[in-house]
Amino acid sequence: MTTFRAGFALPLEELRDEMDRLWSSLTAAPPLHGWGVRGDAAAFPAVNVRESDQAITVEAELPGLDTGDVDITVSGEELVLKGKRPAPDQGVEPQISEDGGTVTWHRRERGFGGFERRIPLPTLVDAAGVTARLADGVLTVTCPKAAEAQPRRVEVRSA
Amino acid sequence: MTTQIQTTTAETPPTGAPPAATSQPAQTVREITYQPNVDIRDRGSEVVFDADIPGAQAEGIDVTFEEGVLAVQVSVPARDLPGRPIRQEYGIGNYRRSFRLGEGFDASQITADYRRGVLTIRVPRLAAVRPRKVEVRAG
Repeated sequence: MTTFRAGFALPLEELRDEMDRLWSSLTAAPPLHGWGVRGDAAAFPAVNVRESDQAITVEAELPGLDTGDVDITVSGEELVLKGKRPAPDQGVEPQISEDGGTVTWHRRERGFGGFERRIPLPTLVDAAGVTARLADGVLTVTCPKAAEAQPRRVEVRSA
Repeated sequence: MTTQIQTTTAETPPTGAPPAATSQPAQTVREITYQPNVDIRDRGSEVVFDADIPGAQAEGIDVTFEEGVLAVQVSVPARDLPGRPIRQEYGIGNYRRSFRLGEGFDASQITADYRRGVLTIRVPRLAAVRPRKVEVRAG
Protein backbone atom coordinates (compact mmCIF):
# COMPACT_ATOMS: atom_id res chain seq x y z
CA MET A 1 0.00 0.00 0.00
CA THR A 2 1.31 3.40 -0.85
CA THR A 3 0.91 5.76 2.04
CA PHE A 4 0.37 9.31 1.01
CA ARG A 5 1.66 12.14 3.09
CA ALA A 6 0.83 15.49 1.61
CA GLY A 7 3.73 17.76 1.16
CA PHE A 8 6.21 16.30 3.54
CA ALA A 9 7.43 12.84 2.87
CA LEU A 10 7.47 9.89 0.53
CA PRO A 11 6.88 6.31 1.54
CA LEU A 12 9.88 4.13 2.14
CA GLU A 13 9.22 1.98 -0.92
CA GLU A 14 10.59 4.80 -3.00
CA LEU A 15 13.82 4.93 -1.05
CA ARG A 16 15.73 2.50 -3.25
CA ASP A 17 14.83 4.32 -6.43
CA GLU A 18 15.67 7.53 -4.72
CA MET A 19 19.12 6.29 -3.76
CA ASP A 20 19.83 5.22 -7.31
CA ARG A 21 18.72 8.49 -8.79
CA LEU A 22 20.21 10.69 -6.19
CA TRP A 23 23.65 11.86 -6.94
CA SER A 24 23.39 11.67 -10.72
CA SER A 25 20.30 13.85 -10.73
CA LEU A 26 21.56 16.48 -8.36
CA THR A 27 22.63 19.02 -10.89
CA ALA A 28 19.39 18.70 -12.83
CA ALA A 29 17.02 19.13 -9.88
CA PRO A 30 14.75 22.07 -10.67
CA PRO A 31 13.71 24.46 -7.94
CA LEU A 32 10.37 23.56 -6.44
CA HIS A 33 7.72 25.98 -5.43
CA GLY A 34 4.76 25.42 -3.19
CA TRP A 35 4.89 22.96 -0.37
CA GLY A 36 6.98 19.94 -1.18
CA VAL A 37 7.05 17.70 -4.19
CA ARG A 38 3.43 16.66 -3.85
CA GLY A 39 2.16 19.87 -2.44
CA ASP A 40 -0.19 20.53 -5.32
CA ALA A 41 -2.15 17.37 -4.67
CA ALA A 42 -3.71 18.47 -1.41
CA ALA A 43 -4.52 21.50 0.66
CA PHE A 44 -1.76 22.67 2.92
CA PRO A 45 -1.25 22.09 5.73
CA ALA A 46 -2.71 18.61 6.00
CA VAL A 47 -4.62 18.27 9.24
CA ASN A 48 -5.73 15.52 11.57
CA VAL A 49 -8.86 16.35 13.53
CA ARG A 50 -10.10 14.56 16.63
CA GLU A 51 -13.28 15.01 18.59
CA SER A 52 -13.94 14.31 22.23
CA ASP A 53 -16.96 15.20 24.34
CA GLN A 54 -15.26 18.40 25.46
CA ALA A 55 -13.17 19.57 22.54
CA ILE A 56 -12.16 19.43 18.89
CA THR A 57 -8.40 18.99 18.46
CA VAL A 58 -6.79 20.00 15.17
CA GLU A 59 -3.22 18.95 14.52
CA ALA A 60 -1.06 20.13 11.62
CA GLU A 61 2.60 19.62 10.73
CA LEU A 62 4.36 22.94 10.16
CA PRO A 63 8.10 22.27 10.32
CA GLY A 64 10.33 25.31 10.37
CA LEU A 65 7.65 27.69 11.58
CA ASP A 66 7.83 29.67 14.78
CA THR A 67 4.81 30.61 16.87
CA GLY A 68 4.80 34.08 15.34
CA ASP A 69 4.61 32.65 11.81
CA VAL A 70 1.15 31.14 12.29
CA ASP A 71 -2.08 33.04 12.54
CA ILE A 72 -5.02 31.11 13.97
CA THR A 73 -8.58 32.38 13.94
CA VAL A 74 -11.80 30.70 14.94
CA SER A 75 -15.20 31.88 13.89
CA GLY A 76 -18.32 29.89 14.51
CA GLU A 77 -17.72 26.44 13.10
CA GLU A 78 -14.57 27.20 11.15
CA LEU A 79 -10.89 27.23 12.06
CA VAL A 80 -8.55 29.21 9.81
CA LEU A 81 -4.79 28.59 9.74
CA LYS A 82 -2.72 31.22 7.99
CA GLY A 83 1.01 31.57 7.76
CA LYS A 84 4.14 31.73 5.72
CA ARG A 85 7.32 29.74 5.55
CA PRO A 86 10.18 31.82 4.17
CA ALA A 87 12.15 30.52 1.21
CA PRO A 88 15.18 28.64 2.52
CA ASP A 89 17.63 30.99 0.84
CA GLN A 90 16.14 34.15 2.28
CA GLY A 91 17.63 35.82 5.26
CA VAL A 92 19.41 32.97 6.91
CA GLU A 93 22.54 32.66 4.86
CA PRO A 94 24.14 34.59 2.05
CA GLN A 95 24.17 32.98 -1.35
CA ILE A 96 27.92 33.46 -1.58
CA SER A 97 29.82 30.99 0.55
CA GLU A 98 32.82 32.08 2.57
CA ASP A 99 35.28 30.79 0.03
CA GLY A 100 33.86 33.10 -2.58
CA GLY A 101 31.92 30.52 -4.55
CA THR A 102 28.18 30.51 -5.04
CA VAL A 103 25.89 28.11 -3.24
CA THR A 104 24.74 25.18 -5.36
CA TRP A 105 21.35 23.69 -4.59
CA HIS A 106 21.24 19.95 -5.10
CA ARG A 107 17.71 19.43 -3.79
CA ARG A 108 14.82 21.71 -3.01
CA GLU A 109 12.00 19.49 -1.86
CA ARG A 110 10.87 21.48 1.15
CA GLY A 111 8.20 23.90 0.09
CA PHE A 112 7.89 27.49 1.08
CA GLY A 113 5.53 30.40 0.71
CA GLY A 114 2.24 31.44 2.22
CA PHE A 115 -0.74 29.26 3.03
CA GLU A 116 -4.29 29.59 4.22
CA ARG A 117 -6.41 26.65 5.21
CA ARG A 118 -10.03 26.73 6.33
CA ILE A 119 -11.05 23.74 8.39
CA PRO A 120 -14.73 23.18 9.06
CA LEU A 121 -15.43 22.13 12.63
CA PRO A 122 -18.22 19.67 13.37
CA THR A 123 -19.71 21.75 16.17
CA LEU A 124 -19.78 25.26 17.53
CA VAL A 125 -16.72 25.95 19.66
CA ASP A 126 -15.93 28.37 22.43
CA ALA A 127 -13.70 30.78 20.49
CA ALA A 128 -12.45 32.45 23.65
CA GLY A 129 -11.21 29.16 25.03
CA VAL A 130 -9.19 28.03 22.02
CA THR A 131 -5.56 27.24 22.79
CA ALA A 132 -2.71 26.43 20.40
CA ARG A 133 0.71 24.91 20.87
CA LEU A 134 3.53 24.65 18.33
CA ALA A 135 6.25 22.20 19.32
CA ASP A 136 8.84 20.45 17.15
CA GLY A 137 7.02 21.59 14.03
CA VAL A 138 3.65 20.20 15.11
CA LEU A 139 0.78 22.59 15.69
CA THR A 140 -1.99 21.44 18.03
CA VAL A 141 -5.10 23.60 18.32
CA THR A 142 -7.58 22.67 21.04
CA CYS A 143 -11.06 24.12 20.56
CA PRO A 144 -13.37 23.56 23.53
CA LYS A 145 -16.90 22.84 22.38
CA ALA A 146 -19.50 25.49 23.04
CA ALA A 147 -21.62 24.67 26.05
CA GLU A 148 -24.63 23.92 23.88
CA ALA A 149 -22.60 21.50 21.77
CA GLN A 150 -21.34 19.45 24.69
CA PRO A 151 -23.22 16.32 25.60
CA ARG A 152 -25.42 16.97 28.58
CA ARG A 153 -26.56 14.47 31.04
CA VAL A 154 -30.18 14.88 31.95
CA GLU A 155 -31.22 13.74 35.34
CA VAL A 156 -34.50 11.92 35.41
CA ARG A 157 -36.52 13.11 38.32
CA SER A 158 -38.73 10.69 40.05
CA ALA A 159 -42.24 11.85 40.59
CA MET B 1 34.33 3.85 10.02
CA THR B 2 31.04 4.93 11.51
CA THR B 3 30.68 8.36 12.95
CA GLN B 4 27.83 8.94 15.33
CA ILE B 5 26.68 12.52 15.30
CA GLN B 6 25.12 14.04 18.37
CA THR B 7 21.94 15.93 17.55
CA THR B 8 21.49 19.11 19.46
CA THR B 9 18.47 21.31 19.92
CA ALA B 10 18.17 25.00 20.49
CA GLU B 11 17.65 24.26 24.15
CA THR B 12 20.65 22.01 24.73
CA PRO B 13 24.18 23.14 23.90
CA PRO B 14 26.10 20.75 21.62
CA THR B 15 28.58 19.71 24.26
CA GLY B 16 26.42 20.15 27.33
CA ALA B 17 24.85 17.56 29.52
CA PRO B 18 21.90 15.67 28.03
CA PRO B 19 18.51 17.18 28.84
CA ALA B 20 16.70 15.92 31.88
CA ALA B 21 15.25 12.51 31.14
CA THR B 22 11.68 13.70 31.40
CA SER B 23 11.05 13.83 27.67
CA GLN B 24 11.99 10.26 26.87
CA PRO B 25 9.70 9.06 24.05
CA ALA B 26 7.47 6.57 25.77
CA GLN B 27 6.12 4.82 22.73
CA THR B 28 7.44 4.79 19.22
CA VAL B 29 5.35 4.61 16.09
CA ARG B 30 6.57 1.62 14.12
CA GLU B 31 4.04 0.93 11.41
CA ILE B 32 5.12 3.42 8.77
CA THR B 33 8.44 4.92 7.79
CA TYR B 34 8.47 8.09 5.74
CA GLN B 35 11.14 9.61 3.63
CA PRO B 36 11.44 13.23 4.71
CA ASN B 37 11.67 16.06 2.23
CA VAL B 38 15.08 17.68 2.15
CA ASP B 39 16.88 20.72 0.86
CA ILE B 40 20.54 20.13 0.05
CA ARG B 41 22.89 22.99 -0.63
CA ASP B 42 26.57 22.88 -1.34
CA ARG B 43 28.38 25.87 0.10
CA GLY B 44 31.82 24.85 -1.07
CA SER B 45 33.30 24.38 2.36
CA GLU B 46 30.38 22.20 3.45
CA VAL B 47 27.22 20.49 2.28
CA VAL B 48 24.12 21.42 4.30
CA PHE B 49 21.03 19.20 4.61
CA ASP B 50 17.69 20.48 5.90
CA ALA B 51 15.07 17.80 6.51
CA ASP B 52 11.46 18.26 7.61
CA ILE B 53 10.87 15.77 10.42
CA PRO B 54 8.04 17.27 12.47
CA GLY B 55 7.12 15.55 15.70
CA ALA B 56 10.56 14.13 16.40
CA GLN B 57 12.73 14.74 19.43
CA ALA B 58 16.50 15.14 19.40
CA GLU B 59 17.08 11.94 21.36
CA GLY B 60 15.16 9.94 18.76
CA ILE B 61 17.30 11.15 15.87
CA ASP B 62 20.11 8.95 14.66
CA VAL B 63 22.59 10.46 12.21
CA THR B 64 25.51 8.39 10.96
CA PHE B 65 28.22 8.83 8.36
CA GLU B 66 29.73 5.59 7.16
CA GLU B 67 31.76 4.92 4.04
CA GLY B 68 30.63 8.10 2.41
CA VAL B 69 26.91 7.57 3.15
CA LEU B 70 25.06 9.98 5.39
CA ALA B 71 22.10 8.19 6.99
CA VAL B 72 19.30 9.69 9.02
CA GLN B 73 16.96 7.51 11.05
CA VAL B 74 14.31 9.04 13.27
CA SER B 75 12.03 7.37 15.81
CA VAL B 76 8.95 9.50 16.30
CA PRO B 77 7.13 9.22 19.61
CA ALA B 78 3.41 8.54 19.46
CA ARG B 79 1.21 11.55 19.93
CA ASP B 80 -1.56 11.07 22.41
CA LEU B 81 -4.55 13.27 21.69
CA PRO B 82 -7.99 12.97 23.23
CA GLY B 83 -11.08 11.84 21.39
CA ARG B 84 -11.71 9.90 18.21
CA PRO B 85 -10.37 10.83 14.77
CA ILE B 86 -12.91 12.55 12.52
CA ARG B 87 -10.49 13.68 9.81
CA GLN B 88 -7.19 12.01 9.00
CA GLU B 89 -5.11 13.63 6.28
CA TYR B 90 -1.65 12.45 7.19
CA GLY B 91 -0.03 9.58 8.98
CA ILE B 92 2.49 9.71 11.77
CA GLY B 93 5.51 7.49 11.52
CA ASN B 94 9.26 7.29 11.67
CA TYR B 95 11.61 8.84 9.13
CA ARG B 96 14.53 7.39 7.25
CA ARG B 97 16.67 8.56 4.39
CA SER B 98 20.27 8.28 3.28
CA PHE B 99 22.56 10.09 0.88
CA ARG B 100 25.77 9.02 -0.79
CA LEU B 101 28.31 11.78 -0.44
CA GLY B 102 31.52 10.00 -1.35
CA GLU B 103 34.99 10.99 -0.23
CA GLY B 104 36.51 14.24 0.89
CA PHE B 105 34.37 15.00 3.94
CA ASP B 106 35.47 15.45 7.52
CA ALA B 107 33.28 13.00 9.43
CA SER B 108 34.53 14.18 12.80
CA GLN B 109 33.20 17.69 12.18
CA ILE B 110 29.66 16.84 11.09
CA THR B 111 27.02 18.60 13.17
CA ALA B 112 23.28 17.93 13.48
CA ASP B 113 20.83 20.43 14.90
CA TYR B 114 17.11 19.90 15.43
CA ARG B 115 14.89 22.94 15.76
CA ARG B 116 11.19 23.53 15.10
CA GLY B 117 10.77 20.18 13.41
CA VAL B 118 13.66 20.71 11.00
CA LEU B 119 16.90 18.73 11.16
CA THR B 120 19.95 20.58 9.83
CA ILE B 121 23.07 18.55 9.13
CA ARG B 122 26.33 20.23 8.16
CA VAL B 123 28.96 18.05 6.52
CA PRO B 124 32.22 19.96 6.13
CA ARG B 125 34.69 19.15 3.38
CA LEU B 126 38.23 18.28 4.32
CA ALA B 127 40.36 21.39 4.03
CA ALA B 128 42.50 19.73 1.34
CA VAL B 129 39.58 19.33 -1.06
CA ARG B 130 37.75 22.60 -0.50
CA PRO B 131 37.43 24.80 -3.54
CA ARG B 132 40.02 27.49 -3.42
CA LYS B 133 40.24 30.66 -5.39
CA VAL B 134 43.73 31.16 -6.77
CA GLU B 135 44.94 34.67 -7.29
CA VAL B 136 46.69 35.26 -10.59
CA ARG B 137 49.86 37.18 -10.15
CA ALA B 138 50.97 39.60 -12.81
CA GLY B 139 54.56 40.17 -13.83
